[in-house]
Amino acid sequence: MSQEYRYIGKPTPRKDAVQIVTGRAKYIDDMEMPRMLYGKVLRSPYPHAHITSIDTSKAEAIPGIKAVLTHKNAPNWTTGTPRHVRVLDSRVRFVGDAVALVAAISRELAAEALDHIHVEYEQLPAVYDVEEAIRPDAPQLYEAFPGNLIPFDVPLFGPKTLRGVVLGDVEEGFEEADFIGEGTYAYENIPNPLPIEPPGVIAEWTESNKLTVWSATQSVTWHRHMMIPRMGFPDIRAIGTQCGGSFGSKNYSGQPFLYAAALAKTAGRPVKVCFTKEEHFGAFALRLGSRFRGKVGIKKDGTITAVSGEWFVNTGAFSDMAQAQIAVGCGEAQLMLRCSNWDVKTKLVCTNRNPSGIVRGFGGQELESALFPILETAMAKAALDPVEFYKKNYVKPGDGYYWRDGEWYVCRGRDYSDAIDKGVEAFGWKRKWKGWFKPTAVKDTKRIGVGVGVHGNADVGEDVSEAYVRLNPDNSVTIHACVAEPGVGQRSSLCKMVAEVLQIPIEGVTIAPADSLINPFDFGLLGSRGTFAMGSAVISAAEDARNTLLEQAAPMLKAAPEDLETEDGMVYVKGRPDAGIPWRKVLGLMRTITGFGRFDPDYSVPNFLILFTELQVDTETGKVDLLRVVIATDVGQIIDPPSIEGQLHGALGAAGIDTAIFEETILDEASGHILNLNMMDYKWRTFLELPQFHNVILETPIETHRYKAVGVGEISTAPGPSAILMAVSNAVGKKMGDYPLTPDKVLTALGKIPGDHKT
Amino acid sequence: MNKERDIESNTINLIVNGENTPLIVGDQVSGLLPSHTLAYTLRETLGLTGTKVGCDHGACGSCTVLVDGKPILSCMTLTIECDERRITTIEGLGEPEIGQLDPLQQAFIDHAAFQCGFCTPGMILASKALLDNNPPPREKQVKEALSGHFCRCISHYHVVDAVLKAAKREE
Amino acid sequence: MKTFKHFNPTSVEEALSLLGDYQGRAKLIAGGTDLLGSLKDHILPDYPEALINIKAIPGLDNIQGNGEGLRIGPSAKLAEIAQSPVIRNTYPVLSEAAECVATPEIRNMATLGGNLCQDTRCWYYRYPHEMGGRILCYRKGRGPCHAVKGDNRYHAIMGGKACFAVCPSDMAIALTALDASLKIAGPKGERLVQIKDCYHVLGSVLQPDEFVTEIHVPHLPKRTKQAFIKFTIRKPVDFAIASVASVILEEKGVCKDARLALGAVAPTPVRATDAEAAINGKAIDANAAERAAAAAVAGAKPMSKNAYKIEITKALVKRALLS
Repeated sequence: MSQEYRYIGKPTPRKDAVQIVTGRAKYIDDMEMPRMLYGKVLRSPYPHAHITSIDTSKAEAIPGIKAVLTHKNAPNWTTGTPRHVRVLDSRVRFVGDAVALVAAISRELAAEALDHIHVEYEQLPAVYDVEEAIRPDAPQLYEAFPGNLIPFDVPLFGPKTLRGVVLGDVEEGFEEADFIGEGTYAYENIPNPLPIEPPGVIAEWTESNKLTVWSATQSVTWHRHMMIPRMGFPDIRAIGTQCGGSFGSKNYSGQPFLYAAALAKTAGRPVKVCFTKEEHFGAFALRLGSRFRGKVGIKKDGTITAVSGEWFVNTGAFSDMAQAQIAVGCGEAQLMLRCSNWDVKTKLVCTNRNPSGIVRGFGGQELESALFPILETAMAKAALDPVEFYKKNYVKPGDGYYWRDGEWYVCRGRDYSDAIDKGVEAFGWKRKWKGWFKPTAVKDTKRIGVGVGVHGNADVGEDVSEAYVRLNPDNSVTIHACVAEPGVGQRSSLCKMVAEVLQIPIEGVTIAPADSLINPFDFGLLGSRGTFAMGSAVISAAEDARNTLLEQAAPMLKAAPEDLETEDGMVYVKGRPDAGIPWRKVLGLMRTITGFGRFDPDYSVPNFLILFTELQVDTETGKVDLLRVVIATDVGQIIDPPSIEGQLHGALGAAGIDTAIFEETILDEASGHILNLNMMDYKWRTFLELPQFHNVILETPIETHRYKAVGVGEISTAPGPSAILMAVSNAVGKKMGDYPLTPDKVLTALGKIPGDHKT
Repeated sequence: MNKERDIESNTINLIVNGENTPLIVGDQVSGLLPSHTLAYTLRETLGLTGTKVGCDHGACGSCTVLVDGKPILSCMTLTIECDERRITTIEGLGEPEIGQLDPLQQAFIDHAAFQCGFCTPGMILASKALLDNNPPPREKQVKEALSGHFCRCISHYHVVDAVLKAAKREE
Repeated sequence: MKTFKHFNPTSVEEALSLLGDYQGRAKLIAGGTDLLGSLKDHILPDYPEALINIKAIPGLDNIQGNGEGLRIGPSAKLAEIAQSPVIRNTYPVLSEAAECVATPEIRNMATLGGNLCQDTRCWYYRYPHEMGGRILCYRKGRGPCHAVKGDNRYHAIMGGKACFAVCPSDMAIALTALDASLKIAGPKGERLVQIKDCYHVLGSVLQPDEFVTEIHVPHLPKRTKQAFIKFTIRKPVDFAIASVASVILEEKGVCKDARLALGAVAPTPVRATDAEAAINGKAIDANAAERAAAAAVAGAKPMSKNAYKIEITKALVKRALLS
């Protein structure tokens, strides 16, 4: 079990707690710069059209309008993977696509000016379905992408970046199989991660080639290292404000950033672009659409003998970095399904709707939500308990897998079977599971069903983190690590780790603002890497500083550094705490000690969680009521108990479990409009319908860093959707295969209304 | 028309966190336009940015403030209709000059009842109205009072704990 | 949002006079929870020049019950209606309906009159102008109804004609089951209109220069069994997918007089007279409830995506009768 620490594993108040509860925490829209202007976007009425003429003269003449940009005069910066997304294009590719930008002295004036821009369009046919889009007669969105197929040749993770999984011999594998599952399933309801705070950026050019941006971001440095090459190499200082939720979507905010920077350059004044909620729904990151057509072979003992198929990924009007999500999704599939024979190929397709972006689950959730139903068909034929199946097939130490960079890794993590068993116990799985398509209980018109899903990610050790830790003579400690605060509490957890290393009161540890100018490099706060990757860097830096401190103290205490200890700002010979010297004596009043630490990538330690769900189906109305969720995991060592509880509860948020019940972005395919661009028609879970939620968190030390911990924040949403599909299938006695399971779909499955039931 | 001048407002007075706050109607700098929502006035004119705007359409609860003790949505309230109303924002809780927090604020800290914190001011104020105007609530009543509040981080479970605990403290 | 002039009349006459002056270019504002949303999204090509605040008019928020029945002012808040002892006691279908609307904060702001007169929620009609331009349609005076060939999952299963958006008001449904009337004031004086005559396919019968000054609910001489059941995807927040309001006079298990109103199934509230006929005089048991439910939806003409509403409506009618 876990060790007893002074701070690690104990709840400590968040460093920004007082700021938050008093309303003093500053989010992007709370900030104002001198002479700041407000930017607004004129948006396309059509899903696909050429802009044949655009007249901005009336708008420009309005007093208070300081800049108007169109495709004719917008800067030549491009984003996307590969680079195919212009700041403003002469073609629009989804309803809501940007047509013109206006900067004005007030938001109302900017909005008014939009109505004075006269645009003429030549409409083009549009396409929305992923397989229709790749047909030869489909409307083409980009000249550069024939067949609307977006290429994989940008080496996001190196030259062998994963774009499928090819291994062994699937023909042989299918021969060996006792049962085959086959079919096509789609997870194409393109839900919205929907953080409460819409995206926003303030941009200011301090010199012609020096840009400062403030933004609501999850990974602050992305607004520097991602954008510099895309903008002709200016110098960019990126500052992260308190962020009102991100869930991947605000790792960076490409379009708001470009609009603010472009308007600021033209106007010569700072410009704030904060999206409205409608823009958040209609012109900001949605989940990828995912369709899997394939086949899985299994033996009667649950061994997976072959997985083959085609994964169609629909990214909407452009690919931000869908290729990265495909790479990670392919990696994660191998973690969950130990199998020696794979032939999975991917097609990345663009279509005429609001583009997808990064969302928690990062490709893995999309893939498994479409692949697992096929797998489960085979499991059902074999009458295998899905928990036993997933337990058998989750990657174990010693197993190998291709990770996102196409390299082969050997798992050196842990066997999570204990966590699974504890979860089974806590949920009561053995008595609730009655077999495939069998309800757990039937009472009148109500039927209870249970389901399960698993997920894991080897990105917990992804990419590089660096940190400085500075010891000050007043016993305070400053951490320099470019870490944002979008709600995960990592900034505070890092302070906790440093306080533990230095045995210094946690109140005295501060972390510097998330500003790329004053911190060394940090890749970002994503993929559950905060605990392992950032933690490692910060711990190393603290240990480095501590070593220097003890080396400096050694001659003063006439001892060797290894015989010394530091606690509460005193350095003493081990066993002689009464005869110590304070830090200020060791350092000197006008000196500090700075330690440095760096973490280099390690993709060999996958994390894991299993999610059990129990729900009720009302067979008269089709309503699905979520009754219980149990999550079981093993994190090595809990750093901050309330933070991890919050991250696991997050399974109910960020386009997770509820994408199988009621979350969806509703696209009208006649006109290309998104119909539910508001928070009433887009459904989210309320206080009145909270399921019972229980987290089982084991702590078996894992070989990561000093505190033997691994993160799990990012993976809690992914297993939910397929688990719900399983539970409803069991409740109604029929395989359900469509997301989300709104009343109409359930009633169709029950035969109560005519229609095609998707199985 | 004369009668219009009589029933059109020229100045209004908001009583914000106990302070009289006169506003002059008009399109001058810091002037009050009839179309200004209370959320806009609080945040942009008065600089009280503790009140957050999430959806600006009355569907998320982030902008909740208390008007005459009742929780309402400031983004769907016209400032010009709030003459002589007592408005409590998150900045009005506790005693900021001496660093004293309201028991609810402390309970939210103690129970880690937030993650990104954006929905928190609205939730604290709605909870405050619940506790101030009713006997100590049960869990169901806390959930009902907060049923219009959107939290995507899913801090709901901790929030309910915090409010119930704060209610006990006040008993 | 764009600005407007704003007036605080202190009498109904003043308000009517202003409405008259503006000839359709001014709108009344009560709670504002519907109006401000449609102004922010600029869903209609015309934008009001002025808003007339009726909250400033004293005496319009009364709730009074006596031997003649219930009189409610249009400015009474939904929260007040939900908590009113006289309503909870004698007209609980009304307080139950009020309790179902939106969220607690909105119920503190929204008024009965506003709820009755609110505009429809059809998502084509409500499409925000900033996201590529408002959508024009039959209801807006230009174009077809987009729901016919589009996503009509929330639209009407009966009574639609040229426009298929449903009446979004929960209170109208409850008042329909209570046979209420609305007192409507206009330039030519006041008229009392039975609620069944207050709505048509495109909304309420109110002219731009009229407003609702009182809601009358007839006295209920005997104790009745009342229920308001609202089906939504989630609780609360959502508008109804289907709802049923019932006021049943029952004696010794036999139904003497049933009033059933259906909500969110048609552009107007629907009195389910066929269902009422099926249950009147019968013992209220599962079979009778089943038959009444079937009768309630017998005339339904579902659109391409909303046949499920028929099943849900049937279930709600049964549950209301057997509650």
